[in-house]
Amino acid sequence: MSLAAEAFVSQMAAAEPWPESATLYQPLKEDQILLSDCASSLAVQAYLRMCGLPVQVVCRANAEYMSPSGKIPFIHVGNQVVSELGPIVQFTKAKGHSLSEGLDDVQRAEMKAYMELVNNMLLTAELYIQWCDDPTAAEISRPRYSSPYSWPLSNILAYQKQWEVRRKMNAIGWGGKTLEQVYEDVSQCCQALSQRLGTQPYFFNKQPTELDALVFGHLFTILTTRLTSTELAERIKSYSNLLSFCRRIEQTYFENKSS
Amino acid sequence: MGTVHARSLDPLPMRGPELGVQPDDIEAPGIEHEPKQEVLENKDVVVQRVHIDGLGRTKEDLLTYEIAEVFRAKNLIDVMRKSHEARRKLLRLGIFRKVEVVIDTSRGEDALPNGLDVTFEVTELRRMTGSYNTMVGNNEGSMVLGLKLPNALGRAEKMTFQFSYGTKETSYGLSFFKPQPGNFERNISLNVYKVTGQFPWSSLRETDRGISGELSFPVWKTNQTLKWEGVWRELGCLARTASFAVREESGHSLKSSLSHSMVIDTRNSSILPRKGGLLKIHQELAGYTGGDASFLKEDFEIQLNKTLFWDSVLSASLWGGLLLPIGDKPTSIADRFYLGGPTSIRGFSMYSLGPQSEGDYLGGEGYWAGGLHLYTPLPFRPGKGGFGDLFRTHFFLNAGNLCNLNYGEGPKAHLKKLAESIRWSYGLGIVLRLGNIARLELNYCIPMGVQSGDRICDGVQFGAGIRFL
Repeated sequence: MSLAAEAFVSQMAAAEPWPESATLYQPLKEDQILLSDCASSLAVQAYLRMCGLPVQVVCRANAEYMSPSGKIPFIHVGNQVVSELGPIVQFTKAKGHSLSEGLDDVQRAEMKAYMELVNNMLLTAELYIQWCDDPTAAEISRPRYSSPYSWPLSNILAYQKQWEVRRKMNAIGWGGKTLEQVYEDVSQCCQALSQRLGTQPYFFNKQPTELDALVFGHLFTILTTRLTSTELAERIKSYSNLLSFCRRIEQTYFENKSS
Repeated sequence: MGTVHARSLDPLPMRGPELGVQPDDIEAPGIEHEPKQEVLENKDVVVQRVHIDGLGRTKEDLLTYEIAEVFRAKNLIDVMRKSHEARRKLLRLGIFRKVEVVIDTSRGEDALPNGLDVTFEVTELRRMTGSYNTMVGNNEGSMVLGLKLPNALGRAEKMTFQFSYGTKETSYGLSFFKPQPGNFERNISLNVYKVTGQFPWSSLRETDRGISGELSFPVWKTNQTLKWEGVWRELGCLARTASFAVREESGHSLKSSLSHSMVIDTRNSSILPRKGGLLKIHQELAGYTGGDASFLKEDFEIQLNKTLFWDSVLSASLWGGLLLPIGDKPTSIADRFYLGGPTSIRGFSMYSLGPQSEGDYLGGEGYWAGGLHLYTPLPFRPGKGGFGDLFRTHFFLNAGNLCNLNYGEGPKAHLKKLAESIRWSYGLGIVLRLGNIARLELNYCIPMGVQSGDRICDGVQFGAGIRFL
């Protein structure tokens, strides 16, 4: 969003308190949603729970097309529609709820850097594994993505999405990577996160921030999603502090939720 | 019995004195003839030969049917009449640029004393015609390329291709049309197309990619059409400010439907008719041949016209429709009916009637609309006999309603719902007829029965279109 538009949205948003009827939209949980979308959605849900803002999760087959930016998830609050974690964090900040207020500038810059790392490494790896790895694409991604539609539209949409993601991978230089290299990248990312986390409960000691929500969303989804091979989950399990981090957040914020 | 020769390019070697009957002269009473000729009027004649000159790629068997009637003529007036009719039939095939009829006495060894030769001199259309236009409108510029192949395979098949490349949208269409030889009203048409549309009244953008096959045939006095259509529809929001109800409809869906329509048209013209009536009934069943959309849609159109005293015409029309979803999926905004505007209920903005959400009109599942018009010539009849005849003044009364129906309630409840909160309007205006296809209107309208949420356009309203209530 441009600066002027951002300022305008903040003004509008700040005017009203958070309503009871806020809803979060994502694709169908059982049959349609893919790993990367599930991770992003879980990250936003964790963030909102950490802020103490109630939100209802609604599943729609066309959630991806409903979203103003084309990405999942998006929230419908009052008569505003905001998608993706970054803009949602801005939006809640304008309403007066923020998790990163206690951080100083250095820490805030560090948080942003780690969030970029997760987005560039973990999210891209998830997309790669889903769409560029042929067995996974054929067995899991394409059937799931096209499940709400009838033939031949299902085939057209699934292949269209696959070509789009592969083009994007080529553009950012991941087109030539092998699966092994991608797993290596994931391991390195996890190592960096694990080192930063150390023995603390959250990344910035006592209080969770949006970085914790993002990392939780991705790691928890990878650990609990069935893929064609368990290699990815294994790589994460080798970092025990990340495992206990995920468990801690799940127990603190999600123990009442019915999955 | 006669024979048909289809010859290319060489004129008749034995052309006697040119009787040269031109189509316009066929009704003329007297015929010039040389003193040596016998007077053939009102004498029995036999048509011995019918030739068609000027054929290139057209196949002969196609034309046999069109000219067969000429052989049955018994006297000269009959020959002229039947030749005129055959000429009309040849022209309506759409494959000839010009058809001329030449009637001559028979020559040759087997010529009867009262034998006649009829020759149709035809000029075929070019094999391929193209057109190139640029269009500017609606904040968009586009380049339109058209290609037409009339008579592609020799039996009046027609292939057309249109491609439009614009700053915002691209669309194209390819269509193939084939009539049954001998029975032009029975025909098949196959189409492949991609069209895009923007609907600002609903803040909706729609892209349709589809194929369809259509079969038309006449049954007694009616014209029936059966059609199968498979469409991939993509809906999206036109602006970021679209209402959430429209945003919920965004996405892709596939519609595969069978439809049937019946048309009885006894009007003397489709624009500003003076007499006759029109009945059109159309139904569409989607979902039983695949696809996501599943519904039954019915709609009808009735129009009656009667000329009154002093060259004025009274016209009454009634439209209605019903959309029944099958199964538990709700109907899509792309299938629903819309009402309002200069072409339906005048005095209201375009399609801005009925169910709406935050200013975006969502359409309805049931509607009816009626109109009563009195057309009169312009006061004081300026330009009579020429330009002035294209204009008419009209006084109108329009009424209608559009709403969603809860199908669990039963027909009585539906009728009650359609009858309450009726929107109506009255006024007067000027109508201009454009050729035989379209008309322009400039009206002064007074809308009444306006419900909250409707957008009106009271006062002067301009409308252009093909189908008016």
